[in-house]
Amino acid sequence: MSTLDIFLQQLANGLILGSFYSMVALGYTMVYGIIKLLNFAHGDIYMVGGFVGLITLSLLSPFLGAGWAGILVAMIISMILVGLLGVLIQRIAYVPMLSAPRLSILITALAVSMVLYNFVMSMTSGEYKAFPVDLGYDGLEFGNVFITYTQIILVSSTATLMLILHFFISKTMYGKAMRAIAIDQDACRLMGINVKTIIAMTFFVGSALACAAGVMAGVYYGSIHFFMGFLIGLKAFTAAVIGGIGSIPGAVLGGLILGLLESFGTQLPFIGSEWKDVFAFGILIILLLFKPTGLLGKTEIERM
Amino acid sequence: MLRKCFLIMVSLALACVLTAGSSFAAGKVKVGIMIPTTGGTATDGKDMESAIKLAVDEINAAGGLLGKKIVTTTGDDACDPQQAVAAASKLISEGVVAVVGGYCSGATLPTLKLYGEANVPIVIAASNSTALVGANPGIGFMINSTGDAQADTAVTLFKSVGVKSIAIVHMGEAYSEDLASIAKQKWEAAGNKVVAYEVVNKGEQDFSSLVTTIKSKKPDAVFWTAYYAEGALLIKQLRQGGYRGTIAVGDGSNSPKLIEIAGKAAEGVYCFSNPIVDYLPAAKTFAADFKAKYKVAPGPYSTLSYDGMKLLADAVKRAGSFDADAIKKALKATDNYEGIAGPISFTDKLTLARSNFVTLQVKDQKWKLHQ
Repeated sequence: MSTLDIFLQQLANGLILGSFYSMVALGYTMVYGIIKLLNFAHGDIYMVGGFVGLITLSLLSPFLGAGWAGILVAMIISMILVGLLGVLIQRIAYVPMLSAPRLSILITALAVSMVLYNFVMSMTSGEYKAFPVDLGYDGLEFGNVFITYTQIILVSSTATLMLILHFFISKTMYGKAMRAIAIDQDACRLMGINVKTIIAMTFFVGSALACAAGVMAGVYYGSIHFFMGFLIGLKAFTAAVIGGIGSIPGAVLGGLILGLLESFGTQLPFIGSEWKDVFAFGILIILLLFKPTGLLGKTEIERM
Repeated sequence: MLRKCFLIMVSLALACVLTAGSSFAAGKVKVGIMIPTTGGTATDGKDMESAIKLAVDEINAAGGLLGKKIVTTTGDDACDPQQAVAAASKLISEGVVAVVGGYCSGATLPTLKLYGEANVPIVIAASNSTALVGANPGIGFMINSTGDAQADTAVTLFKSVGVKSIAIVHMGEAYSEDLASIAKQKWEAAGNKVVAYEVVNKGEQDFSSLVTTIKSKKPDAVFWTAYYAEGALLIKQLRQGGYRGTIAVGDGSNSPKLIEIAGKAAEGVYCFSNPIVDYLPAAKTFAADFKAKYKVAPGPYSTLSYDGMKLLADAVKRAGSFDADAIKKALKATDNYEGIAGPISFTDKLTLARSNFVTLQVKDQKWKLHQ
């Protein structure tokens, strides 16, 4: 492989990995934007999404097969279920805490994460579960650069979901309400916006996106386990911070940047792939030193 | 009513606490089992537990140990050093006379100090990092061959299939890093090349950039030295990424789950394995009993775990007492004990005195012995 081939292949790898990060980062950033909560349970929602996807797919595959049709239907059903789970968690754990200090609700989020994590661990006895799909390795080959059809489908589905989200936020009344609440909750209440419903809706959308990412990860990598949400949760959070937490295009951009940093990190000359995380997170620190609000974040004016 | 229930529960709990710690009570003797029952390696851990319990049942049916019935208590090390320390402390505080188990070397390593201080002998059934040898305060008896023997088997296989250069990938913890570095050393000492020596994070799913790095260095073979969960993903992504060379995995990846997760990509993958039940003529009865009792086939470390428990019982009988020093002395003096996984004797460093590794290969989605 020539240097150019390696560059192009790593570019493709980084974009695929980055689109997973982006999908999860979107949920972080939306929830933060609207109620200023760092929802640390979000990575676990991704993990639960993978398991719900596995269950629905196993139930559906006798009727629809384990091909793309089955996967699509299973994904939509799981997105709805996990979206509702997100709303339920918000109602039970976060709504009563909304007026409490921010630190308390942050700790609640960590507790929710523990509950989900340990629940799935005991339900699955901590085992790895194989996803019952085998999509084959056919793909496009450009010289030495190789991209499978599965990868192309995954990246285009994440792009589609993000476009739908963009349309939802920028063009619908609900999206407008979400953006308004992010600016000033009390004013929204005075204008007759049902703030509670809109917050619940934000959780629904964020959780559904994380679920979609979880199902895709299961389909793509072929196995899921109870701690798969931990690492990606941290990395998606990082991605959201890189892009500017609270900013939706920022989350997408941040996810892609982190994916690319990681895949080019394995290519570091002289020191090798074990340094890739040091490299990726080192860049994060440097970036935040110079631009603490992230790439697309806005400087927030603290109202006293 | 509720209050009454609560009181009863508290008194029951107290009773439990008071009776624990006295392992000799009522003609019983307590043996600890330390294995992972949660986490990515839980399948193998539970399999080991079942095998040990089968051995215990047989010993008890034959009259027990020095006239006492054996009861077991399990500590879950979760394949994690911190959890393992907690599990070992739990077993020690329950007053076990000895422990059988040990799956992940990284988890077993810190417990050796605790067992040493408490003077509790442990028969280490699966863990086989050479790091354990140096850290052993004279209480750990390793009945699985160490990384050294496995690396030799690996070098022999690679040579026999005409491999000239290899890439080694490990996971950065005691077991896989140890095996990786020994394999690298031995492979280079034999005059061959290691073109890539890489590490992945535990729990990571995407190895595509690593695959690209490996492909760009064109090794004839890739040697994965860690466990099956990440190993299966790596194999799948190597084949997806268009890598066509030989792939071999260490004994930590010796699991049917590897084939289940990697699917078609696992075809042709080599694995270095401690003797598993399918290839042991002496283990036929064991396999049948195991299947009858648990309704599943015994897994990769079941024979060694079964042997570990039986060996311990044998040593106690030879020692004629439950005294820790006497048991240690008897274990050390073990001379070609006929286990179902082969004869057991110990070296001065308390490791198995022979190499017990065989080479397997995936054929038609099953592990088969490679000739």
